[in-house]
Amino acid sequence: MIRLLILPGLTFLAFAFWADGAFAHASEGGFVLLLPTRLYILSGCAAVALSVLIVGLMPGRWLERIFTPLRTGVARPPKGQQFTSLAATAAVFGLVAIGWFGPHDPLGNLLPLTIWTLFWIGFVVTQALTGDLWAWINPWSGLATLIGPIKAPFVLPDRLGHWPGVVSLIAFALFALVYPAPDDPSRLAVVVAAYWSLMFLGCLLFGAEIWLPRAECFTILLRLFASLAPLRRSDAWALGLPGWRAFHLPTPPVSLAVFIVALLGIGSFDGLNETFWWLVQIGVNPLEFPGRSALIGRTTLGLVAAVAMLIALFAACVWSGLWLADRRQTPSPSFSAAFGQLSLSLLPIALGYHLAHFFVAFLVNIQYVAVALSDPLQSGRDILNLGDHYVSTGFLKSRDPVRAIWLTQAGVIVAAHILAVFMAHHSATQMFRSRSRTMLSQVPLAAFMVLYTLFGLWLLATARGA
Amino acid sequence: MTKRDTSRPSLSRRGALKTLGATGLAAAALPGLSGFAQAQSSAPIRIGFQVHRTGIGAAYGRWYDRSTAAAVARINEMGGINGRPVEIVAEDDGTDPKRGAEVVEKFATQHECDIAFGTLFSHVVFGSAPRAGELKMPYFVVSEGHHVASGALNRYTLQPGITDVKSQVQAMAPFVADNLGKKVTMIFPDFAFGHDHRDYFTAAIEAQGGEVLAHIAIPPSETSFTKYFPQIPRETEVIYHVMVGPAVLTFVKEMGEFFGPNSPEIFGFIDSLEAVDMASPGLEFLEGSYFWEGNPRYAQANQSDHDKAYRAAVGVDDNGASVSDPKDVSTYSHMFGCWETLNIVKAGMEAADYQGPDDRTKLIEAVEAMSDMPHSLDHPQGAKRFNGKTHQTFGHQYISKVTDGKLVLAHTTSIEDTLYEDEVDYTTQAF
Repeated sequence: MIRLLILPGLTFLAFAFWADGAFAHASEGGFVLLLPTRLYILSGCAAVALSVLIVGLMPGRWLERIFTPLRTGVARPPKGQQFTSLAATAAVFGLVAIGWFGPHDPLGNLLPLTIWTLFWIGFVVTQALTGDLWAWINPWSGLATLIGPIKAPFVLPDRLGHWPGVVSLIAFALFALVYPAPDDPSRLAVVVAAYWSLMFLGCLLFGAEIWLPRAECFTILLRLFASLAPLRRSDAWALGLPGWRAFHLPTPPVSLAVFIVALLGIGSFDGLNETFWWLVQIGVNPLEFPGRSALIGRTTLGLVAAVAMLIALFAACVWSGLWLADRRQTPSPSFSAAFGQLSLSLLPIALGYHLAHFFVAFLVNIQYVAVALSDPLQSGRDILNLGDHYVSTGFLKSRDPVRAIWLTQAGVIVAAHILAVFMAHHSATQMFRSRSRTMLSQVPLAAFMVLYTLFGLWLLATARGA
Repeated sequence: MTKRDTSRPSLSRRGALKTLGATGLAAAALPGLSGFAQAQSSAPIRIGFQVHRTGIGAAYGRWYDRSTAAAVARINEMGGINGRPVEIVAEDDGTDPKRGAEVVEKFATQHECDIAFGTLFSHVVFGSAPRAGELKMPYFVVSEGHHVASGALNRYTLQPGITDVKSQVQAMAPFVADNLGKKVTMIFPDFAFGHDHRDYFTAAIEAQGGEVLAHIAIPPSETSFTKYFPQIPRETEVIYHVMVGPAVLTFVKEMGEFFGPNSPEIFGFIDSLEAVDMASPGLEFLEGSYFWEGNPRYAQANQSDHDKAYRAAVGVDDNGASVSDPKDVSTYSHMFGCWETLNIVKAGMEAADYQGPDDRTKLIEAVEAMSDMPHSLDHPQGAKRFNGKTHQTFGHQYISKVTDGKLVLAHTTSIEDTLYEDEVDYTTQAF
């Protein structure tokens, strides 16, 4: 058993040492480039590799227990979701108006600040900690219940699965990563209004409860991240290890699994396309970034390729794991069942990287949010009484705070991958029952996760030119 | 977007100094949602501020924004321009040349700005200035690039508030030759920016009787430099480096490790260390090295009253950091350019008796007629000499030495040190 782990272990170590020359070096302020990131990266990958070892040696019952929540009391059913959703609809309309009529400054207008800082960073991470708050504040379901038909006039064909959601996710990614000015207030107002309308139309035609979880990318990703929350309330409060709830979900169909892998691919590409490495690949001088407008074609191709490659790689890991575990024996899950079930273990990686990647931007932009809340129309008011306040990036200009931030980001990535390793193994235990087959099936995926840790940490440490 | 009333006729406003209401002062930062009545004689002067709010220039954009707001507040407090308040209409260009051209277009057509100003990054200036020329919009850039004076742009584009890199580099040679050494090795990134330094400095040091022993061109994607240092000739007395980007701290650290205590003199440009806290732990290897500064970041022993007042207005302390956060070091070597440019716009508009967009060419001619500008609160960085033919200003350059974690002024060049032959005469071009 242990022998089977030595080969991947050695491969990893060899890779890590070879990697130090080719990778290394870093990002904003130049201070990250001065940190001993090679050492940190090695430690992080070692931690994840160690977790693979630990989970492999752990009795199956322990893993089951880890993912079983504590029941902590009876909860009342939630009321008022329709009203809060209606309030959210009104808020979205108000923000669109502010985007269209308000300040042109993307860092002074509450629409881009809300969408990109409060929602895309703050709320996504919060949802993963607290559970499905989106059910309360999504801007569709309340209005759909209020004015929509009792019975939806059309049926969304089952065979479409979650593919519409994959399409909307890719569309969102293109807008966020490729479009030259996604935070321009007036253009964002048009996009938000159009997207809201299109999704609301879908709710009216097919029913909100059918349409949103299958076609609306934020609903899908937020519900998935909610399954990582340690706390749940439905009939009872329950608290457990992050991710325990994912095991109570039905096995994701292939379209949903592809959604998850694509989500991870988009987040990773978002980090990759700022690096010196990537810029050199596409023929751009990393010291002279030409602006997004000049790179639309290349960034689009890169995004599509990154997502496709990750799907192929993950599929290969699942498939080869099944092959190692000898599919002729029973029980053996089908490829699509294994692909679906194991994709859930990528969720913590996607979330961890999301938090790490946007952490610094959040620390800066949340200050702009405070300023904008105090003076939403940039007319000189000071509603929150902030006084003479300037947004500061002082914490990025000397070594010690930069190091603290970097280690926080790295810690989140490492913890996320360790959780992913545990989740994947638990899924495998449930699929194979036999210990040896479980471990064999996990060899490729565990190696993938250790290498993905290396990749994620490298993205944090490497030089960035955009 | 609210449309402004365009039906106002142009009346003479000479001598019509009106009392400015609170709304007039507040208009200093209004981006297009004008709240006050469009009274003929107090209609604001609308200045389009093309700012790098996002993108790779955002760190500079933040400070350009602050110095601009401070300059406008002061101008309005003093009565505005020709009795009219100044209103800044800011638009983000994302540090993207194509968006820059769109922003210039918006200023001219949608926002009805009188002039546009504020662009920093060279490639954005290149992408935007042609459009300003086509739209006949006076375009005051604050960029340091040599592109204005090289003749590559147009008669509508001017750079009167900040000196250009050619004059900066050239002016370093006398001090380097007289105080640091005559045998120089140059280390620069292998693209246009580095080539400019290579070309300008080599010519200038040779004029001082020095020579460049080696030109070490480093690929822009490089992030580790130790392998290049053995190329430095043994007789090198001074290393002149202009590494930029995130790897600059690594560069200086590795160079310090390579030489140990027996290093040659080291001379660099503050550009990549703008906004880096010199006193940060881990930067000890900078100690003893020299830097060009556009404007001395630390208040010096002979600090002028103008510098003192300017710092107070922008909200910067004696270490060049934000008064609200002593760790938030400013881009002190560049942001004065916005302050000074706006004061020049004021002077130009007053000299031209600027009433409205019909007077744009008169404004440009008035600025072209300017030459010597004394050291004052309008020009806190130092005296300037503007060349109306090349549309480029010339001024004092500063050389500082890192001493105990601060930059201490070691030398101030004369303006003559910075001059070079005219390469264009925009005044012969038609508008």
